Amino acid sequence: MSEFRLTTVEEFEAATARLLETGAKVGADSWQARVKNQTPHCKFGEEGICCRICTMGPCRITKKAPRGVCGCDVHGIVGRNYLKFTAGGSATHSDHGREICHTLYESSADGCYKVKDPEKLVRIAKEWDIETEGKDIYDLAHEVALEGLMEYGKPFGTQRFLKRAPESQQKLWEENELAPHAIDREVSRSLHMAHMGCSSKPEALVKQSIRAGLSDGWGGSMMGTEFSDILFGTPKPIETEANLGVMVEENVNIVVHGHDPSLSEMICEVADSPEMVAYAKEMGAKGITISGVCCTSNEVAMRRGIPMAGNFLQQENVVLTGACEAIVVDVQCIFPALGPLSKCFHTKFITTSPIAQMPDSDFIRFDAHTALEKATQIVKLAIENFKNRKPELVYIPQMKQKATVGYSTEAIVKVLDGVTNSQVDELGTTKPLLQCITSGVLRGAVAMVGCNNPRVRPDLAHIELMKKMLANDIIVIASGCSAQAAAKAGLMDKAAKDICGDGLKRVCELADIPPVLHMGSCVDISRMLVLAATLAKDAGLRISQLPVVGCAPEWMSEKAVSIGNYVIGSGLDTFLGVDPYASGSSEMVEILTNGTRQWCEAAFTVEKDIEKLGDAMMARIEEKRAALGI
Amino acid sequence: MTLFETVFSGNDAVYGLTESAINAAIEQHGADKAISFPNTAYSLPCYYAVTGVKVGTLGELKEALGVVKTLMTREMRTHDVFMSGVATALCAEFIEVLKYIDGAVPYEEPCYGHLADAVIRELGVPLVTGDIPGVAVILGKAPTTEDAVALVKSYQAQGILVTLVGDVIDQLAEAGMKTGANVRVIPLGKDVTAVIHVVSVALRAALIFGNITPGDAGSLMKYTMERVPAFVNAFAPLNDVIVACGAGAIALGFPVITNQEGVSEVPKSLIVQTDVSKFNATSLEARDIKIKITNIDIPVAFASAFEGEIIRRGDMQVEFDGSRVDCAELVQTVDASEIEDHKITVVGPEVDGMELGSKNSIAYVVKVAGKNMQPDFEPVIERKFHNYINCIEGVYHTGQRDMQRIRISKDAFNAGFRIKHIGEVLYASVKNEFDAVVDKCEVVIYTDPAECTRIRHEVAIPTFDKRDDRLKSLTDESVDVYYSCILCQAFSPSHVCVVTPERLGLCGAVSWLDAKATNELDPNGPCQVITKERPIDERIGEYEDVNEAVQKFSQGALQDVSLYSIMEKPMTSCGCFECICGIEPFSNGVVITNREYAGMTPLGMTFPELASMTGGGVQTPGFMGHGKHFIGSKKFMKAEGGIERIVWMPKELKDTVAERVNATAKELYGIDNFTDMIGDETIATDPETLVAFLTEKNHPALSMEPMM
Repeated sequence: MSEFRLTTVEEFEAATARLLETGAKVGADSWQARVKNQTPHCKFGEEGICCRICTMGPCRITKKAPRGVCGCDVHGIVGRNYLKFTAGGSATHSDHGREICHTLYESSADGCYKVKDPEKLVRIAKEWDIETEGKDIYDLAHEVALEGLMEYGKPFGTQRFLKRAPESQQKLWEENELAPHAIDREVSRSLHMAHMGCSSKPEALVKQSIRAGLSDGWGGSMMGTEFSDILFGTPKPIETEANLGVMVEENVNIVVHGHDPSLSEMICEVADSPEMVAYAKEMGAKGITISGVCCTSNEVAMRRGIPMAGNFLQQENVVLTGACEAIVVDVQCIFPALGPLSKCFHTKFITTSPIAQMPDSDFIRFDAHTALEKATQIVKLAIENFKNRKPELVYIPQMKQKATVGYSTEAIVKVLDGVTNSQVDELGTTKPLLQCITSGVLRGAVAMVGCNNPRVRPDLAHIELMKKMLANDIIVIASGCSAQAAAKAGLMDKAAKDICGDGLKRVCELADIPPVLHMGSCVDISRMLVLAATLAKDAGLRISQLPVVGCAPEWMSEKAVSIGNYVIGSGLDTFLGVDPYASGSSEMVEILTNGTRQWCEAAFTVEKDIEKLGDAMMARIEEKRAALGI
Repeated sequence: MTLFETVFSGNDAVYGLTESAINAAIEQHGADKAISFPNTAYSLPCYYAVTGVKVGTLGELKEALGVVKTLMTREMRTHDVFMSGVATALCAEFIEVLKYIDGAVPYEEPCYGHLADAVIRELGVPLVTGDIPGVAVILGKAPTTEDAVALVKSYQAQGILVTLVGDVIDQLAEAGMKTGANVRVIPLGKDVTAVIHVVSVALRAALIFGNITPGDAGSLMKYTMERVPAFVNAFAPLNDVIVACGAGAIALGFPVITNQEGVSEVPKSLIVQTDVSKFNATSLEARDIKIKITNIDIPVAFASAFEGEIIRRGDMQVEFDGSRVDCAELVQTVDASEIEDHKITVVGPEVDGMELGSKNSIAYVVKVAGKNMQPDFEPVIERKFHNYINCIEGVYHTGQRDMQRIRISKDAFNAGFRIKHIGEVLYASVKNEFDAVVDKCEVVIYTDPAECTRIRHEVAIPTFDKRDDRLKSLTDESVDVYYSCILCQAFSPSHVCVVTPERLGLCGAVSWLDAKATNELDPNGPCQVITKERPIDERIGEYEDVNEAVQKFSQGALQDVSLYSIMEKPMTSCGCFECICGIEPFSNGVVITNREYAGMTPLGMTFPELASMTGGGVQTPGFMGHGKHFIGSKKFMKAEGGIERIVWMPKELKDTVAERVNATAKELYGIDNFTDMIGDETIATDPETLVAFLTEKNHPALSMEPMM
């Protein structure tokens, strides 16, 4: 019974080292090697003080050259770079959301994509004042999808989902011109503002960054999450496993990687079919194992319990096992390195989206109409590739942990219903969680999100910070690659309650939950916004008053900056372990770490020392408690 | 003040009081003065359970208080609050033990104060069977006397054991409500510190049944949280001290329900329920206690809480007495076509036709039919009648077969209770509990004296004789399978009983036939078939199949057991055993003592002390818990020579088992009246006197091989 033990980062690294030996044998490249080649990184780039938005430059700010050719100072340059970075992330997340809108629009009773959660569809339709009575569910789906698509380009008004926030937050957005208009417009406006000869005032650039971020969080991402739930089901608690040990040597291993569940869901569906399993057996395998990498893995783990082979910086490892028949990718966070790497093994690197096309890959274009056909083609390709394995190269590190995942906001409320007392409490609220926080049994909550980054020892910051929070009775909700780090370590095993403080441990026991709750992919950080909004409303507080903070200790992508902007924009202080290329401007640093409070009551803290970052989060949580007198 | 600050403040206050009280006691009595609670092997039970250190003197108590102080850390974390709650409880225990200095009797009727180990051992079985579905701790003063009575009665009707602390005790007394262990309402004491006496029960349960190592506070709290279904009802106003005690309760997993408004609530742990009439429902839901509802259409309550109720002659409307007139109770298997389900017939006069205070005949025949019914189950069902009839409020039952005695109280009669209702109770209970084998059931109750005579002599006694013959033929050798019993694992997670025809479960409640019936009723339930095809050692009764079963059912905690030896791989016990036997080195024999006997044994230990040597599913060679009925068995420590080894038993126990023991001794060794050779407390409670007595009687154990 007491066999539970966390897997350490040292153990992760030992497994990786062993895989890199295989890589060395076949002459494979690796991110570890490429990091070395790229070090030291460009200092101007790191500080954000290089401007190349017109061809008069590139301009680099130094003591001797404090302004660019156009006269823009360091603050304007850093600010524009920051805004463009944000716009890239916002566009990416939102375009993912748009793709899901299209998939919903294509759904039909006898098509590849069906409506699995009609209840949620009706709920959102009502929320958007769309008539639902007497309508065929697919007619309604198309109507809602179309309305959703309009959110991207509507000429007037702000995002519909902003109404989900507490009124106090909406008021702040209105007053400070932060309420995002059409999603595409916010991205365009950002790029416009950052064009040569437009904005160079840091306040304006940061404000627009927040607005562009909010158009992602409360717009594109939120639609991505909600419509994915409608199509594939709203996640509820489900058992799965995490880390490379989930790959099964005797089976055909197909790894899905990327972000969009439209592809991964269909691959899972097909691989599950008796015909395909029989075909795999015919080809000498015992069966088919689908596992995931990165956020698409989170999507299928949350809905199907498909195991998670690893997070972002483990994508090369799955190929290095020599047991991966196909790595099938859609969009975002896919290393172009996978192409050449797959050539060192028998692995098929299959790209599927026009958005992410790469050399050295088999491109099988995927779309809603031909999804089933294409998924079948992909699975068959993988099965037929089983015989091409080189047995001498096969090594799967036998390392995995159990995890209970699937904590959508709806699932969390259901869990909380389970600890209410029908004699005194109402159902369907977050009040039990608020009671735990108010009484002090839990000190607060931290939303752990974001990627891995070789600048930080991968996974260590996620895991160590989570352990620290848990030991101090701070509950952790996680998404994206942070969630996978937690799962790999064992922090999503219910047995992990034993490493928590007494308060959180008791909460885990009574609610029967793991201490780190998996809320989904990076797009699903929108779930965290809804949860925070619900908590604030149920408590009668502003979001910024809640003893809740966000944290991305290992973030790396533009999407992460967009997320950071919408999280602070929604009133939650956010703690970063990696600087967003802004340290070159004292004004930008001041605005990002303090100035934004005047608009949205939250700001960033950047701290590369993980121990100090953890202390700072705990101190902030206690400050918020003290302000509430709890 | 936040909730945490309130707990800390309450804890500090109690600590201060405790420190002064201990200092004053030392000043008065000196540091070497002995202190202890009576009738426990674990004094001071709570402190011992938490720290693993026993405290015997005032000086040690002062040292212990220093340890308690180290628990009182003040970080704003739940851990600190839990530990401060525990510290508050320990301080309460220290204050309470001071009341018992010099053998003082600090509590008088109706209050109990400290509860003996034996009480806990008796609670074991009913708690695991769900007969006692929970333990309520009611603290303070209810808004009104009526509220207090209604709340306690509501729990009583559900079979929940109620303990009371504070003014609620006076409220019940004022209302004239009967309290006492027999009706499962136990007033502990009026000071808030008296609450420790129920905490002490919970913690000793962990030591006794859970085999928790004293001092392993983590496991202790896990045990109480997962296995002791207790909860607290604390009436407003709450002060800091009560809140601090509440933190201790919550630390142990016991939710606190209060009508004090403004308390910072914690889900499933600290719940404000302003409507006292809903305390019951709120509490049960908070502690996840499910009440098995037996809805029987009778005019009085039916609940296990009334099982121990006694009806005195003066309160009695009528009685039925098998020792004076012809009575019988019988289960008969019949063909389904012969009976009508739920038909209840009374042949003869009803209670209305009987004189007040009169002694009458009664015979009830419960006819059952079912595809899976077997005659072997008849006595199993029949043995439950005692329990069923006793659960009726205002009705009392003892004895069995044709020797039962029943009393119906005036209150029950006035409430409308009649003979036919006994039929309703028997019908509903049999159908409820034995639904897997009983498809149809009809009850005929005879009160006509002539009919009773006929039933007794012409129907019942021949059936009993036939059954006795069958039982005699049931030996360990004559059957193909034994049964495991893990009924107690809810409480004692690694204990497994192996039940054989000649060795019933150590609690005394599960015979081989019971186990067989239980298995038949619920094939995946607590009793599983164990084959006995691969003997390893016939002498000690060890089988490969049995060992495999034991390994499986104890989840690997136990590797091998023998059925017939107390020295080699003895069978474990959960802690609920009726008797314990331990070797007596001077005579080469064994001493047996039973739960009811509070006095000393020649081993220099009382029952609680001996009992604390074993239990919790651990093998302790030289000590063995067992049922009373096992004492007369030919298999009783057969490997060491059998019952010849018995050198001492409490007199009452000896008298109870004499007939069977003497018969066995005659058969095995040709000894007449063997029990005359066995000592008891009237003869000796020290080894020297005992050996002298045994020598005089030429007890066979003296000349046997030494056991060690």
